[in-house]
Amino acid sequence: MPGKNVLTISKLRASVAGKSILKGVDLQIGAGEVHAIMGPNGSGKSTLAQVLAGREDYEVEGGGVTFDGQDLLAMRPEERARAGFFLGFQYPVEIPGVNNAYLLKAALNAKRKRAGMPEVDAYEFLALIKAKMKFMQMNEAFLSRGVNEGFSGGEKKRNEILQMLVLEPRLAVLDETDSGLDIDALKVVAKGVNSLRGPDRSIVLITHYQRLLDYIEPDHVHVFSDGRILKSGDKSLARELESRGYDWIQEGRVA
Amino acid sequence: MSSALQSFEAALRARPPDRLAAMRAESMRRFLELGLPNTGDETWRYTNLRGLAAKPYVDAPRIAAGAAVDAAASWLAAASTAAPVRIVNGFAELGDGAPPERPGVTVRSLRSLAAQDPEWLLERIAPAADTDEERWALLNRALFVDGIYLRIDSPVEDPILIVHLALPGGADTAVHSRVIIETAPGATATVIEHHIGSNGAAVLANSATQIELAADSSVEHYRVFAGNDTMTHIDALTVRQARGSRCRQFTIALGGALVRADLRAKLDGPGAAHDSHSLLVGHGSRHVDCVATVLHASPQATSTQTSRAIASGTGRVVFNSKVVVAAGAAGTQSNQSARGLLLSPTAEIDTRPQLEIHADDVKCAHGATTGRLDPDMMFYLLSRGIDRAAAQSLLIYAFLDDVLTGMSSPAARSAIENALIAELPDADLLREFR
Repeated sequence: MPGKNVLTISKLRASVAGKSILKGVDLQIGAGEVHAIMGPNGSGKSTLAQVLAGREDYEVEGGGVTFDGQDLLAMRPEERARAGFFLGFQYPVEIPGVNNAYLLKAALNAKRKRAGMPEVDAYEFLALIKAKMKFMQMNEAFLSRGVNEGFSGGEKKRNEILQMLVLEPRLAVLDETDSGLDIDALKVVAKGVNSLRGPDRSIVLITHYQRLLDYIEPDHVHVFSDGRILKSGDKSLARELESRGYDWIQEGRVA
Repeated sequence: MSSALQSFEAALRARPPDRLAAMRAESMRRFLELGLPNTGDETWRYTNLRGLAAKPYVDAPRIAAGAAVDAAASWLAAASTAAPVRIVNGFAELGDGAPPERPGVTVRSLRSLAAQDPEWLLERIAPAADTDEERWALLNRALFVDGIYLRIDSPVEDPILIVHLALPGGADTAVHSRVIIETAPGATATVIEHHIGSNGAAVLANSATQIELAADSSVEHYRVFAGNDTMTHIDALTVRQARGSRCRQFTIALGGALVRADLRAKLDGPGAAHDSHSLLVGHGSRHVDCVATVLHASPQATSTQTSRAIASGTGRVVFNSKVVVAAGAAGTQSNQSARGLLLSPTAEIDTRPQLEIHADDVKCAHGATTGRLDPDMMFYLLSRGIDRAAAQSLLIYAFLDDVLTGMSSPAARSAIENALIAELPDADLLREFR
């Protein structure tokens, strides 16, 4: 595929506490594409997301990642975010005392500042955020609460998507955003993600189940196992995984 | 005898005796017999006074009212619409230019009360025990030169601000001042004591405040220590609460090389409620030591103690809290929550909640934790594009939130938040955050 890759991961290896987790990941994500990374628990999917976001607990041991032509791994986590990288957390942390609305505004302004844009107008911001919350079927009372404070699991995931909608990232990596959601919440989350699809934006869905992919149709599906991508294909691969499980791919690798 | 002790004794001898002389002499005799507390004393384990003991202190000079005071204005002034009551180098500035009295509020100088009605005043000055905790209060009984008697007779809305100002006196000076607050039944007030020093004041401020709450009255009391880095604040606060009274107390340590703030509250009537909050900042090389004891002497009283301590550099914060439930104080409810946040590997925080229960049918809870900034919270904020320094400030600020939100005077809270924010990196960003 020529030139227009948003993210290029090559031979990425990483470890945590001396234990090797990523063992040579190769992945290319083009502009406007939606990729799904599937795989069994413990295969390293979430580690990949955390390494891309810049979590310091992980040691990058080799390989490289370019994000819109820049060396992603050389950037600090906050720089990655401002450059348009967004991680939707699997377990969003509660931060009592730090206001949700404030965090959103500070995050948006950090990004605008990098782009040479003025700070968002307070009135415009409020209008924007209220519209997005309505779209995500969230209660406005959440705005004045602490970040994720007292939110249910589903509310936390919606809040992640809300942040993504406000920040309009170039690349969003959503780490098991579907886990723990009932079907109605899943539809709302999928609606949020789908609304962001566009030619300039790429999305990576990390998921254990095929269910999410019924609502967000991926362009590419990758099977992750033991720290690397074992198999890639189109959306039919997800259905095959659903019916046959992961074992057949892992067996195939041995053979 | 240490230099400090000798100089304290000499100070009393050098003053012309007033009509409290017998009480002063007796307090001094007991104080000299016991000496300064040292790290062998239970509540002084973490606070070494050797440097202080080696210095001779002279009485801080009396400064003409209004002189040189504007240079060290209180940043809490906006918390009250009335002019503050000032105690400069221990002397109350009442008289010409003194703040006018407000309905329901009586303010008198202890010095003039001692001259006019010493018997009446002696009855009101709280006794001090021979324990190591009350050693400085004993010295204050011997040496206080002046102070304020404040009486609240009705509900008073506007906070009353008392500014304790220390001005430099050439040598190492000592200031001993006292505040006595009394309420009538049903009265309510907010009283803020702001302890500050002007630049270059190498002052040992040994203050004492006593609050006497009549039945069903209520006081929100703040003591804010904000001296410069050459100043030592030692403060003894005693609170006695009658039936149904309510005290909300805030101890804020934002300055001074050494702050030692004691609180002793006695819940002396059924249904009394006491909530004390401490916000202790040990930045740089500051040392902050807070000892708070609540005695439940009556049934059905409630108390909470909430402390939030942060320490950076080589700063050190000590918070000892203790709840004592006397025999017969059935139905007592108390909760102690002490949390510490360490911002550097060389900082230290020691918290120790204690419980002593001599009654049945009580509910007493306590918890203490000290740690560093939560790495998960930190990463979450970074991953949203927030600066590292700003993220750190936000999390520190959030950590202090439990104490700040408890303040019911918006003006006081806002002034204290401003002063607190100035202590943190990214002050501008935090101002916007509020």
